[in-house]
Amino acid sequence: MAFDYEKYLRMDKIPHLWCPGCGIGVVLKAMLRAMENVNWERNDTAFVSGIGCTSRAPGYIDCNTLHTTHGRGLTFATGIKMAQPDKNLVIFSGDGDATAIGGNHFIHACRRNIDMTLIVVNNNIYGMTGGQHSPTTPIGFKASTTIYGNVDPSFDICLLARAAGATYVARSTVNKGRTLEQYIQRGFENKGFSVIEAVSNCHTQFGRKNNMSDPISSRKWIEDREIPLAKARDMKAEDLKNMVITGEFITEKSDLERWENYNRAEKEYTEAYSDIIKKVKKK
Amino acid sequence: MSEKIKLPDGFRSWEADVKIGKKEDKVTIGHWAEGCKGCAICVDVCPKKVWKLIEAKNKWNGQLVIVDKPDACIKCMLCEIHCPDFCIKIF
Ligand SMILES: Cc1ncc(C[n+]2csc(CCOP(=O)(O)OP(=O)(O)O)c2C)c(N)n1
Ligand code: SF4
Ligand code: SF4
Ligand code: SF4
Repeated sequence: MAFDYEKYLRMDKIPHLWCPGCGIGVVLKAMLRAMENVNWERNDTAFVSGIGCTSRAPGYIDCNTLHTTHGRGLTFATGIKMAQPDKNLVIFSGDGDATAIGGNHFIHACRRNIDMTLIVVNNNIYGMTGGQHSPTTPIGFKASTTIYGNVDPSFDICLLARAAGATYVARSTVNKGRTLEQYIQRGFENKGFSVIEAVSNCHTQFGRKNNMSDPISSRKWIEDREIPLAKARDMKAEDLKNMVITGEFITEKSDLERWENYNRAEKEYTEAYSDIIKKVKKK
Repeated sequence: MSEKIKLPDGFRSWEADVKIGKKEDKVTIGHWAEGCKGCAICVDVCPKKVWKLIEAKNKWNGQLVIVDKPDACIKCMLCEIHCPDFCIKIF
């Protein structure tokens, strides 16, 4: 049955400004369906972003929205969550926004395990500003700042989030709208910091420089490199080069409880903080 | 059209009797031409070639899609889910 996206959108701003076929729209739709699945009220939910094509997403959602400065969506969202811990916080970020200029905020939000959900749309490039290479541009690929091919190794956003302390981490692609919806929903349900990486196509800036200038071939490039996590576990490192490993990298119940919990706080961040406030007030 | 199906303003609709496996069903496919950017993702993801790309005058890339074979639809929802532009509704 068709989904009523109109219920959640500022329809006077649609059609959105993204290029024809840009994957960000697919991620936004998956997120709206996830929001309906968990029955979040629009008034109790805030969407926050930094700067970039991806960061335009909250502007289309008819909820509480905040468009902040480049890489700082997480910091503003942390402020909102501290002031109003009962609200639902969702942050939209591009790969540049989240892992280049905002990389420090990213790892520390993971470390605090504050109850918010970060959606990183990873299109391997700075889309908005003209296709500069980002921390996730694969080695050998071209960007306007790596015209002879990139030599910098990439971040693995999910492994980074996991190592830094996020308690739900998953990756899927814009070819799998339903899986994205499911992962985002689980992120919403996790009481702690969740990171969902959505591998996406920017055919306009990344594709054009790398012989896949239309959305279909850019999506196909992503599809051809996708390897499910379970299969990747048995593969050699050299065969995984530049591949997109998809699946749930961490769920609070599985790996964390077993052996990674040794340095974790016992409480969610805003709860621990309000305990401190109560304690100090009593004195 | 049954009462439950409500397409937003500007959507054109195609209705057809369809067969999903052995089950008989009805489909209503809604498409919003004004918002369609002609990216052809729906054409690409549809397993039944329901959509067709045509030339059109618009401010995007000079193309958009129409429903060509509504009766082939199996209501898999892939087109609705992967249209980046809120232009498709399958009932
Ligand atoms: C402090 C600051 N530095 C640089 C910029 C320029 N700038 C705007 S968006 C952007 C990168 C966007 O890339 P990404 O976050 O990957 O998002 P995308 O556009 O690909 O969705 C940059 C460098 C800025 N707006 N502010
Ligand atoms: S430049 Fe790239 S990321 Fe930005 S809207 Fe176009 S396709 Fe999407
Ligand atoms: S619902 Fe499935 S079969 Fe029907 S038009 Fe969409 S993609 Fe094609
Ligand atoms: S996917 Fe959506 S925007 Fe793209 S051609 Fe199809 S209906 Fe139009």
